[in-house]
Parts: sequence; structure tokens; C-alpha cells
Amino acid sequence: MAPISVHSELLSPNYKDYIEGGLLRRMSKILRMSVACAKDSLQQAKLDQPDSIVVGTGLGCLQDTEKFLNTFLTVEGLLPPTSFIQSTHNTIAGQISLSIGNHGYNMTHTQNTLSFEHALIDTELLLQESDYQVLVGAADEHIDFLDQVKTELDLVLPVALTSGASFFVATRDRGDAARGQIVGIEAFGMVENIHDRIGSFLDEHKISATSLDLVLFAGADIAVCETVLASLTQAGVREDQILDYLSYSGIYPTSSAFALHLALDQFKLNTSYRYILVCNCLNRNNLGLILVESVEA
Amino acid sequence: MSVRITGIGLVSAIGLNCQANLLSLRTGKAGIAPLRNLSDREGLLVGEVKLRNEELVSRLNVTDHISRTSLLGLMAAREAWNDMPHHSSLKAGIISSTSVGGMDRSEIFYRDYLNQGNPDYGLLLTHDSGNTTERIAAALGITGYINTLSTACSSGVNAMMLGARLLQQGKLDRVLVGGVDALTRFTINGFRSLMIYDEAWCRPFDETRTGLNLGEGAGFLLLENEKSIAISGNKTLCYVNGYANAADAYHQTASSPDGKGATLAIEQAISRSGLGKDQISYINAHGTGTKNNDLSESVALKNIFGDNVPKFSSTKPFTGHTLAAAGAIEAVFSVLSIQHNLIYPNLNFQTPIEETGLIPVTE
Repeated sequence: MAPISVHSELLSPNYKDYIEGGLLRRMSKILRMSVACAKDSLQQAKLDQPDSIVVGTGLGCLQDTEKFLNTFLTVEGLLPPTSFIQSTHNTIAGQISLSIGNHGYNMTHTQNTLSFEHALIDTELLLQESDYQVLVGAADEHIDFLDQVKTELDLVLPVALTSGASFFVATRDRGDAARGQIVGIEAFGMVENIHDRIGSFLDEHKISATSLDLVLFAGADIAVCETVLASLTQAGVREDQILDYLSYSGIYPTSSAFALHLALDQFKLNTSYRYILVCNCLNRNNLGLILVESVEA
Repeated sequence: MSVRITGIGLVSAIGLNCQANLLSLRTGKAGIAPLRNLSDREGLLVGEVKLRNEELVSRLNVTDHISRTSLLGLMAAREAWNDMPHHSSLKAGIISSTSVGGMDRSEIFYRDYLNQGNPDYGLLLTHDSGNTTERIAAALGITGYINTLSTACSSGVNAMMLGARLLQQGKLDRVLVGGVDALTRFTINGFRSLMIYDEAWCRPFDETRTGLNLGEGAGFLLLENEKSIAISGNKTLCYVNGYANAADAYHQTASSPDGKGATLAIEQAISRSGLGKDQISYINAHGTGTKNNDLSESVALKNIFGDNVPKFSSTKPFTGHTLAAAGAIEAVFSVLSIQHNLIYPNLNFQTPIEETGLIPVTE
């Protein structure tokens, strides 16, 4: 896998393998990505119907939101409703449930950079309650307008703004197909002391920083990056064990879902790995932590 | 372990706090009136909160770089939280919900942007739905679990359900839950494009109904566990005993003719509560006034209750359809209903829906 560059393009599957042609034509990028990922992960888990569908999205269906803004601000008279219908955040989880005919719990979390972590916390609750299998994922889409906003607001970002969708099947019992186990999730809004928060999270799960094999880190604010990197290295994590996942995913609010996928792939590549921490500081006021354990261990 | 409701807060077209809302409900004073705060579509019937943004900003004593959605939400959230001090041994959180987020400011930006003027990009900083909740959390001093749900018209009750589940599993000790949406050109034009916006006053559950009137507002409820009330000393107003969420999986915007999703959710919620169906004394229905919703919902009620449908009514003719806030506002109405032993009239009802024949409470 190569880091993204200015020449990078969004990797897309052959959507027709997952979505019927007529439906596909009406779907925006975020809906295509999400429905295809959701179906692919269900196929991998050999599951027809999950008990629940839980989605996180930071900015939702931007393409259709922009389209409907354009429509009602410029068109007189009767307006076509499709872009309005598809502009709401819950369209993603809704389209997944429609595409597989699922009548279970259906939820959409939208807490900017912590949207995916909140979806995972909900999933954890569901599996503690009565669910056995939950489809959980996250998606955000890039529109060109975002680059203009970035320039106008003088936002300095380390890598490009991009799109992404990642879906997972989370189960109560560890099946043969299990790729990893989530040990702990934290979504902390308005965080004041990131160093202490990471420390207490690891303590709570009885893991020392030295037993982390890899830390997948994201940060856009230089001061925050320095704080976190200093606190991790002081706690015994080697610098070469810290990987900036944004250089592979690009920036979008739910890129920590990409990092979870990357963590699961790392377990496959490095069978000696036991613990990977996803440390999401993309927004300096929000701290997201996902601790994943290898199923081989 | 029980989940207690210990605080409630409301802002709607019929009042700026719970007491004012209750008075309007008791006296049959509806809030649907011609649109004033948004320049275009003047005269359209809406359930508008009768305060301009400047008035909200000064009443709430906040900066003005904030969306109307956050302002309305903060007003109701403050009433429900009621100056409760924070306590280091208690885990507190907030779950709000919204469908428009900061669209009230984004659409002003976008109009100027299209007009090639000099648009204020700063207006976009409040666009994301999560921001609307962060602003409320910051004003109340809540850190940690800060979350926003967005599931259209079911958002407010979903926030309540998630809050109850977090308390049940000991993840939190106290959580403010609710929903908020401001009126926007985006949603007004959206519902008009769907051809379900009634130019006249909405008539839920009536055979002649032709659509909804949009409204705006917020509802918040404070949920606490035993540990939390031991410290807060708050009085328990009600308990949350049952809840459920199910997908209809029928159509993106339309409800199924057999009411499948609603039937599943109602059935599971009652079953979880351990109550008998005959113990339900009142249903505050969704009853938007659209042909499709009211029929599907009526079918669901008949699926569950057969010929013994409890007393029910829709309060939408009072407030308008407040989208993500609707479930939260109506949950607070339901708490007030239990507290004051009141059932609210379904205004504008005359003729039952032919297919189902259900008659809501009208007085």
C-alpha cells in the first residue's frame, strides 16, 4: 500500500457487482461506497441478515446536500425531490437496510471525527444486550467544494481531503472468520488532557503501553501530534511502532474506521502482533481510542 | 436497575418552556401561523418559535457564531439540566439529535456563494450536526460522552433510547437526551418537493389530510440512575421502561402499507417494559398529517391493539412537525401527560380514515 499523493484516486470496486443498475445510477458516491462495503463485509462473514445496522458519518451525504441547495436556490417552481431525500445522514443506513431487507435496529451517529467510535460503542451495547451480529461501519464523501472551504478558511492539513467507507461485521461470539477482537473503545469529546486520557484508557483495560505492537495515529494539529507522540514514546512505544494512517486514507471525519480495517490487515501480515491501538486525534478537541487484539494470540 | 426521568425542557411554537407548552396544550392554543423569520416563502403555515436569533442569543448569553439549532437546543437543554452541579464521581453525557444541524447558517452562506457576492465561509463552521451538540455541551460544562444521532423523524426518541441503554449498562450515570431542529429553507423546500407540505393547517388522522406543516423546537430530558439521584437529590418524574427501534425497510421516505417497522418497534417496546397492552392509557402518536404516515401508523396501531386501541392523539397541529425534535418534544409532552393526568386533543379531526376508522381524542 502506497501513501496517497496528489495523483491518488479513490479506489472503487465494480459497483454493479453489489448494486442493481437502476438504483446505482441514482446513488451518490457515499451511498455506493457504503452499500458495496456493507454487502462485501456481510458476504465475507457469510451472513444474510445482521441483527442491527449501525453507521457513523461526520458530514453525511454532502453531494446530495450540495445538489439540493443548488436546486432550491436556483430553480423556480416544482423541485425534483431525489437529492433532498438522499441528503439526510440516515440515508446510508437506510439504503443498506433497504438493499438487504433488514428490519432490525437501524442507527446513525454523527459526531464529527468521533462518529465511527460512537457507532462502535453502540455496537458494543447491542452485543451486550440481545444481538449476536451487528453490521457496523462509517462513511464520508469528499466534494470539490470542501477544498475551496479549506482554502478560504486557511485550514492547514497534512494530507488531502478524501472519501472513504469501511464496514465490519461484529459478533458476540468469536467465530472462525474472526479477524480481531475489540478490547476497548473510547470517544471523548471536549478532551482537556489527552495524555492522561490515553493513560487511563490503557489502565482500564490493563494494558501497558509497552505491550502495544502498533499505534495507528491521526492528528491534524501539530501541537496535539507532538503531545501524543511524546507521551507514547515516553511510555515505551518505539517511534517505528507509530504509524500515521492519514497518509494512507487521506482526511475525512470517519477515517478511524479505515484505521480499524488497517489494524485487522496488520494482524494478518504480522502474526506476532497482539495489540494495536487506533488513536484518533484528528480534531484536537476530540479523542477516539480503539484497542484491538489479535484473535491468534 | 431503573432509568429515571428527572428533568424536562421544551421550546416549541407553543411555548419557550414546559409550563408555557402545557398551558397552550391545556387551552387548545396552537402555534401554527404564517412564517416570519425566513424571508422567502412568507405566509407559509409553520410552527415557528416566536423568537429571532438575536433574542435567543441575548436570552441565553452566548456568542452569536452559533446556529439557531444550537440556540433552540440549549434553551431546552438548560431547562432540563436545571443548573445541576457536576460531580467528579458521576459520569455525565449528552445525546442530542438533529436532521438539519447548522443548515440555517449554511444555506445563508450558499445563497451568497451562488450570488457571487462575498460569502462568509465562517458560517460553515457550525454546519456539522455534531457541532450543534458540542455547543450545547460546552455551555452546560459536559465533557466526555457527547454524541449526536440523525435518523430523521425518529431521532429524538432514539436519543432517549440510547441514553437509557447507556445508563442500563453502567456506561453513564446521568445523561441529557433530546432532539432539536430549526426551520430552514432547505427542509421547507424539501418537504414541498415531496408534495407533502399542506398549505392549510395539518389534519392528522383525518380522511381529508393532505400533508404536514413543518415546525421547529427542541425537547430535552434528563435521565439519571440511582447513584446520580442520591447526589443530585432530583425528584423522579417518570421512568423509562421500554424502548425499541426497527427498520421498516420499505422505501426511503414512505412508510409501508402494512406498518411493519412501526409494528415491530411498538411490540418490542411494550414487551421490554413488561406491561400488558391494556395498561397503556395514552399514545402520543407521530401523526404528521401526511396520507402515507397516518395510514401506516393507524395500521400498526391496529396490528398491535386490534379493536382496543388506547386513547391516542397527534400534537402536530399544535407544534408542527419538528423533525428530529418531534420525538423528544412529544416524550416531554407524555411526561407532562402522566404528571398532570392529561390527554391532549388531536386538533382539526373530523372524519376517520376510511381504511382503519380510528378516532383520536379530540377534547
